[in-house]
Amino acid sequence: MSEEKNNVRLKIENVSKVFAKVESDQVTHALHDVSVEMSGGEFVSLVGPSGCGKSTILRLVAGLIPPTLGRVTVSGEEISGPSPSRGLVFQNPTLFPWLTAEKNISFSLDLRGDDRGKAEKVEHMLEITGLEQFRHDYPAQLSGGMAQRVALVRTLINEPEILLLDEPLGALDEFTRMSMQDEILNIWMQKKQLALMVTHSIDEAVYMGTRVLVMEANPGRIVADIRIDGDFPRDRSSASFVEYRNEILNRLHFGGKRR
Amino acid sequence: MNYESECDYMLQDLRVNSENAARPAQLSNLTRRQLKELEEKEKTPAQKLKETVVMLLPLLCGCAALLEYLILPNNSRNSRPWSYVWALGAAMCAYLLCLLLSLLKKRKGEKRLYGKLHYKAPHFSALFLFLALYDYLTLKTGILTQPFVPCMNYIINAFLADYKLLADCTLNTLKLLFLGYFTGVSLGLITGIACGYSNRARYWLDPIIKFLGPIPTSTWIPIIMVVASSLFGGAVFIIALGSWFAVTVASLTGISNVGKEYFEAARTLGATNRQLVFRVAIPHAMPSILQGCTQAMSSSCVAIMIAEMLGVKSGLGWYMTWQTGWASYDKSFAALFVICLIFTLVTNGLERIKRYLLRWQNGADNNV
Repeated sequence: MSEEKNNVRLKIENVSKVFAKVESDQVTHALHDVSVEMSGGEFVSLVGPSGCGKSTILRLVAGLIPPTLGRVTVSGEEISGPSPSRGLVFQNPTLFPWLTAEKNISFSLDLRGDDRGKAEKVEHMLEITGLEQFRHDYPAQLSGGMAQRVALVRTLINEPEILLLDEPLGALDEFTRMSMQDEILNIWMQKKQLALMVTHSIDEAVYMGTRVLVMEANPGRIVADIRIDGDFPRDRSSASFVEYRNEILNRLHFGGKRR
Repeated sequence: MNYESECDYMLQDLRVNSENAARPAQLSNLTRRQLKELEEKEKTPAQKLKETVVMLLPLLCGCAALLEYLILPNNSRNSRPWSYVWALGAAMCAYLLCLLLSLLKKRKGEKRLYGKLHYKAPHFSALFLFLALYDYLTLKTGILTQPFVPCMNYIINAFLADYKLLADCTLNTLKLLFLGYFTGVSLGLITGIACGYSNRARYWLDPIIKFLGPIPTSTWIPIIMVVASSLFGGAVFIIALGSWFAVTVASLTGISNVGKEYFEAARTLGATNRQLVFRVAIPHAMPSILQGCTQAMSSSCVAIMIAEMLGVKSGLGWYMTWQTGWASYDKSFAALFVICLIFTLVTNGLERIKRYLLRWQNGADNNV
């Protein structure tokens, strides 16, 4: 099964996305002629200033919005809408507040009326989160980190071939954030999905990614594609780590060597 | 639950020396109730005395009401005077029974009923005092003229004399109320949900809602009297219309307020359009929908009384106007009490259903 997942290929070909503004007759160019390819087993981090179209790329891949120009394909097939095989985790956990943690996790299975092995799957997911004793709690009773863990496994229960993470740890405190970085990496290393993560933290991008795409705004485009070598878990203070960080900072014109 | 907010459980050092002391190791599987007991301060003798007085106060006030009724001379004629005494006695006995039961339960460590009773006791006391005052103003002094404002004994006698007809009327009122209410609520749910989710439904239904909605239900009554083939059907229509409007608006607003991100999350998890409505939009709008249902109930209660007083030939509203016409004010008052009672029960029932359905809204205090 994991071999199959390794083979997934995501192709973004000459994609432009233009949004109409709500009030005036103007438009916003969120993405301009973006082309990039990635495949299963990669952990791709997207970094860049706000408004550079990072989230737009995720939403295109999720199938929530169609591209204005160009194509997005998964293993050769054009994306026509959302699918559980492309799971998206939002910055805000967006758990359904009227369902318990357990019912939130089994939400997709319940939608499909798929009861085969449901109990074991849910159990396994609860185990990953370590929230077994909170299974009957409603989201209002969970802390931010707990809620985000539930949101993560709610997506993972579908065994997505592409895992889209839209700043999943952005709203968490530093300690929860660092421990969840490792948790996400563990999950990813077991299944080797294609993970595509938007983040505001360069540190996080380098710590987790096998590849970092640096983006710039107006119009949104990819300006650098940096491969990150090094085994997991990575050492945040190592020379190569700092090197990568500086390279990305320079690319974003925040580095020490400003021109 | 309110009584708990009244008691202020201050954090203090765990009582290690008392007999049922918990050692730190025992804290691991502590229940919420045990924790509260553990953290509760030892009561001072003065506090204990005050608590006892509060618990006994309703009985004292009840005795006061009895004495007032039996000792003071009457200002006007009073027939069958013992009904009121029996009623007061029954109320006091009921309280006494509850008190004994709560003490028994408290001994076994079940403090809920006791706390509730302690919270409510001042209310009960005030009620007995109010009865004494009312009796003084009516029967004893005639400051409130007899028989226009009948004394409690008259009202109880009227109730006892006419309870069969009253029961019949209550049944008719409830039948009409629920028929109208549920028709209105179901139609309201359908239109509200359709409008909240589909733009086309909204386009066509919005003008109708805007046109019909703001008209007060009582305005319809004269027209219905003429047009409707049966007054019962007409009354159902009026009640249904009021609740339809309330529920439509509430569910429409509720559904339009569902955050886009919930729909997006559900779609990436594989929800179809139908599932977006039934699994996301409706549950999310539930608080608003239920708010609408409560509002619909109060508007239905108003509408049914007006309908019964003006046209329908049965029910408690009709009974009240009819008896007032015969100058039987005691019977009108008896009906008024029955109306109060059933509306309170209905509203309370609705509130309980609402609390059950919305149990996910409560924070950490929820015990499933």
